[in-house]
Amino acid sequence: MNELAVNVGRLLSRLQSPDSEEREEAVHGLGASVCDEAIAGLVLAMEDPDLGIREMAADYLAKIKGDTASQLLIRFLAHDDIGTRNLASEILIKIGTEAVPALLENIEHDDHDVRKFICDVLGLIGDSRAVDALMQHLWDDNVNVVCSAAEALGRIGSPRAIDSLIAVAEKLQDSVLPAIEALGKIRDPKALDCLYQYLRSDDPMVVLVSVEAVGQIGQVDSISHLTPYLSASDRATAEAAMAAIIAISRHNNDRINIDLPLDNFTDFLFDGIKNRDHAITEFTLSRLSHWFGSKVIAGLLDVLEYVEEDDLKRITGLLGEVGPSVATAILAKLPHASTQHQGRMLDILAQFADETIAPELLSYVHHDDPEIRQKIAHILGSSGFTGAIKALKALATDTNGHVRAAAYAALGWLCSEEEADFIMGGLDDKYSDVREAAVGALIIIGGPRVVAKLTTDLYHDEVERQRLAVTALGWIGEAEVVAPLLKAINHPDAGVRKSAINSLVRIGEVSDVESIRLALSDENSGVRKAAVTALLALRGIESVDDVAVLLNDCDVWVRYHTISSLGDLGRSELAEHIMPYLQDDLDIIKLAAAKALAQMGCRDAVPMLNELKGDKNRDLANVAEKALDSIGGNRT
Amino acid sequence: MEIQMQDQDNVAVLSLSGRLDLASGATLKEQVKRLIEKNTIQIHLNLSEVEFINSSGLGALVSVMKEVRLQKGRLTLSNLASYVQEIFEITQLSHIFEIYSTEAEALATYQTVATR
Repeated sequence: MNELAVNVGRLLSRLQSPDSEEREEAVHGLGASVCDEAIAGLVLAMEDPDLGIREMAADYLAKIKGDTASQLLIRFLAHDDIGTRNLASEILIKIGTEAVPALLENIEHDDHDVRKFICDVLGLIGDSRAVDALMQHLWDDNVNVVCSAAEALGRIGSPRAIDSLIAVAEKLQDSVLPAIEALGKIRDPKALDCLYQYLRSDDPMVVLVSVEAVGQIGQVDSISHLTPYLSASDRATAEAAMAAIIAISRHNNDRINIDLPLDNFTDFLFDGIKNRDHAITEFTLSRLSHWFGSKVIAGLLDVLEYVEEDDLKRITGLLGEVGPSVATAILAKLPHASTQHQGRMLDILAQFADETIAPELLSYVHHDDPEIRQKIAHILGSSGFTGAIKALKALATDTNGHVRAAAYAALGWLCSEEEADFIMGGLDDKYSDVREAAVGALIIIGGPRVVAKLTTDLYHDEVERQRLAVTALGWIGEAEVVAPLLKAINHPDAGVRKSAINSLVRIGEVSDVESIRLALSDENSGVRKAAVTALLALRGIESVDDVAVLLNDCDVWVRYHTISSLGDLGRSELAEHIMPYLQDDLDIIKLAAAKALAQMGCRDAVPMLNELKGDKNRDLANVAEKALDSIGGNRT
Repeated sequence: MEIQMQDQDNVAVLSLSGRLDLASGATLKEQVKRLIEKNTIQIHLNLSEVEFINSSGLGALVSVMKEVRLQKGRLTLSNLASYVQEIFEITQLSHIFEIYSTEAEALATYQTVATR
């Protein structure tokens, strides 16, 4: 006797041990052995008193597969113990297509329960080799076997079974329901004529199942057969008809174009969305372009809590399109909703917030959730309701930085200059978001008082406050900021000086540019460049003589910027300033000069540009070539 | 600042050009007020030709938004230059205004509502 056989023998005897650990080890050992005796041992272990051992044996059998395991397991389908029969079925299903030959061999078993189990398992495996045998068992003596055979044929889905299913349904009353279900699952239009007849049955169950089956087959022509059932007195049938029409619609890429009495199915459709039924969700949302009413709005607000991100965006957009009437419905629902639901509804309400709605929201400034408080701040601000200022000031001292930032922004939208002192306090906040929100608020409020406070801040101890102040003054952009900005051109901080100059360009109406002219000799190159841009923007060609001095600046990038800025004026009379730089030592300067002269349309530059066309620096050569094309002096 | 007005299927489209500041902001508010009196509460502002906006101009827009909302109307903006977009972001006005890249995009949203 070989070693394997000895080992297996030992393991088989240990299966009888009173000690469950020993029996468990034996099962592991048998699972690792590849022989029929081991398989038989595992099958025996399925009768072990310990559930864990039975399941372990079942798992090993499922992995081993094969005809031997299948044949042995089929014997267990006749076991007295229902649990063992079910376990054997499960393992056979897991074994799958390898079990089919053994199952087919045993489908004529004397025991009708075994025949029934075999039909069930064949259906769940889904192998089309079983179709002929199952069709024969539609005429089995035992009605349970017939029903299982019909069900199995539906699962396998072979159109070859259609005629047999129709025939057995006609002959055997007890088989009608499973046969109709199977015809639906096969999804072949050949079954439709028969199913339409069953729609007219006196038996409500037959009608219901037929409606579902017609829906599964998915033909557009079936809709006219189903629509009468939308008004069935039996609610289950009516909803089944709607579900069937939805299935047909989905099957046809939502291209059905008929009027449906959707108002009668509002609850059904919105429950479907809540239950994340994808087909119902898609169908319902696609119909909302022409289906609305208070019930629908209420339904949509309800399902906001359940839907995923993409559907949420669609629903939010749709409710937004409905308009302010949604606000009343939202306000009614808000107190009883979960935090997440409240947040979603507030996002919609934000579009309609006005002075009549805002007072209803004041109590939410004390909400536990900072995201809700943040949303409330935004909504109160955008509503224009000045009665919310006190609440927003409280939120501006919230423990959460995002809430404080939202509160300051909102105060900017609502407040007047009188609140400037309070908002200036935001510039001391530890979070930059809050400080920036405060700056934003001050920009909107503007006015002489704010300008005065910001002008003082230009000389604050902290550089960041100085820079925020100059930024804010620049964006306020009123006439009263021009003087402090001109003065800020002499500020100790280069960032402030540069920002002040840039702001003056944006404001535009600057009568005295002397400070800007002096900035052409600032120690900081960024300031000098800003001064070039500013003077040319504010004074144009009049300032060229001043600006041209920087063509010889010590910083190459200032020279580059000056050449480019003069080029942007596009004036040919300025070419004489630029021409010498086509022969500069630095390629980058030659490049800037070439571009500028092209903008000026300077034909005198053509000979030198032609020389540069052959330069070993490809960038320079390309720019020279483009310049020549632009001027019209390119010779090949 | 110039304000040109067109009626596009019950939406008053105002195209602003020039500087939106204290004086022109007042003109804008007046124009919107007249529209509201005539029951025109769907208003779109095209800002493509606005070359400058300051705090008074922003204040005018906020004021106009408030008035339109009070009448249960709708106000949209489009074609903001990058400079104007920047100030909208700094002041967080992008939270309260409906802003679209183009006039056509904005007007299409009014059409969707109209088909209900």
